[in-house]
Amino acid sequence: MAATAGDAGRIRGSRARLPTQGRGEVLLLLAPCALYLAAFSIFPLITSLVRSFEDYNTQTDTWRWVGLQNYSELIHSSDFWTVVENTVLLTVVGVAIQVVLGTALALFFNQQLRGGSIVRGILILPMLLTPIVVGLMWRALLDPNWGLLNWIFVQVGIGQVGWLSDPNVALWTLVVADSWQWTPFVFVIVYARLQALPHEVFEAGSVDGANWFQWTMYLTLPLLMPAIVFAAVFRAIDAFRTFDLVYGLTNGGPGESTTTLSFQAFQNGFEFQHYGYASAISYVMVLAAAIGVTLLFKVVKVRRLETA
Amino acid sequence: MSGRTFGRIVSYVVLVLIGLIGIAPFLYLLLLSFKSQLQTFLEVPPTLHFDWATIKSNYGQVIHENQYLTFVENSIIVTGIATLISLALGVPAAYAFSRLRFRGSDTWASTVLSFRFMPPVAVAIPIYLMIRYIGQVNTYPGLILPYIAFSLPLVVWIMIGFFDEIPREIDEAAMVDGLTRPQVLLKVLLPLARPGMLVAATFGVIFIWNEFLVGLYIINSQDKETIPIAASTLLTVESPIDFNVAAAVGVVTVIPVLLFSIVVQRYIVRGITAGAVR
Repeated sequence: MAATAGDAGRIRGSRARLPTQGRGEVLLLLAPCALYLAAFSIFPLITSLVRSFEDYNTQTDTWRWVGLQNYSELIHSSDFWTVVENTVLLTVVGVAIQVVLGTALALFFNQQLRGGSIVRGILILPMLLTPIVVGLMWRALLDPNWGLLNWIFVQVGIGQVGWLSDPNVALWTLVVADSWQWTPFVFVIVYARLQALPHEVFEAGSVDGANWFQWTMYLTLPLLMPAIVFAAVFRAIDAFRTFDLVYGLTNGGPGESTTTLSFQAFQNGFEFQHYGYASAISYVMVLAAAIGVTLLFKVVKVRRLETA
Repeated sequence: MSGRTFGRIVSYVVLVLIGLIGIAPFLYLLLLSFKSQLQTFLEVPPTLHFDWATIKSNYGQVIHENQYLTFVENSIIVTGIATLISLALGVPAAYAFSRLRFRGSDTWASTVLSFRFMPPVAVAIPIYLMIRYIGQVNTYPGLILPYIAFSLPLVVWIMIGFFDEIPREIDEAAMVDGLTRPQVLLKVLLPLARPGMLVAATFGVIFIWNEFLVGLYIINSQDKETIPIAASTLLTVESPIDFNVAAAVGVVTVIPVLLFSIVVQRYIVRGITAGAVR
């Protein structure tokens, strides 16, 4: 670790000494990417902000300035606050589960096990899946009449659970499915960090006579913390904008019980063509994402991870 | 039996359980896709059938009646072109961020990277209106144009990490030999950064292959749908589902991803952790 920090310092030094570097070169290399993002990301984002102060008329295909009306409608709608609550719960509980399980998995795979690499390979798969298919898989598993999970639950005596039909349960079903798909993400990051720790860490622990639990709590976990925090913040930003899974698994229901902000914005925009109102909802998300990203870059800047 | 052996046995049991939880939903889907509609409802828990006629009927329905091969073709065209263009735009930018010193370079880099976290739903409507304005609704470019923008931040993010690992002395030596910056990038660094570009391409492909939120706005004729757009209309929660056929849709959708992931598995791990470096 110390050596890499030194390297970074040396590189920075040589960067400053570098000879020729014209403004033209910077422009030539950066301009295509910058212009593209300006056209297809920044411009739409600004348009979206403007639209959030307007009202769209479907019949005439025109926009009318309404000031803060969309936002005030939003704040005064109880639906909106239910949806905010759903989104926050899904994010906080889901990410907490994923961080705990992902870290536990990383510690578990830190031992030599035959077949370990195959199982690690399997764990990568859920992340890559087309989200709509993840929804399908879980709907099949959870079907009230013939789904495998309900059958198991009945066999062990818990009885039927309304995974997708009970408004008090459906959101937690979403959390389970999200955790199935994304725990591996936390695992991969934490595991990579663990593999990069110097061997002396573990040898020192065993020489001192500390047991596994002690050296994990007081030695390994603190060393893994930067990776864990990074994975948690990264996941939280992504979980906050969950759309695909809701679309594929619950369609926001029953009622509004699993509607997330992304899904509500999508419904208002795509299904009802309330473009202005939808833009206002999505701008709440843009602000939340901006806060998350600021936090993320703080974490990354303060402690550069050396996992790659 | 010593405590150590016992511990090993517990570890292996846990290992198998983890593997099962990871793969069970896939196997369940595969199993359902081998059944007739009646069997899905009546056999609980499901048993494995290998009745060739049923399998042929389920998958035949997906591939022929639902034009699945068209969707695969659309997905490959859109994903391939969008990934290549985002590499062409992103790699030079990443090189500049890694090597050149200019005012606000860190801020600019963070700004580009932060677009990785932009909620797609926030730009879906304006992008749809833009695409409609330039008359590209229901066309490949209509999908490719926004998809490039979505994968670009990821490409830049990953490539900065890889360029940072290549010693700067290599650039300097090449420039002493009289090459200009763009020449250094093209002739010297690109061959060295090939693994990085594979990682970046892998992530671009995964992201674009799975995108469907913006796609739903832009495509509304079946012959231009990509796999996830088609799957989303075939598998919506509202539509009544023949689960055996739906499962076959799922399997056919997942198989390209599985094959791809086996080939690029090490790049995937590399990419996730390279993201963590930045």
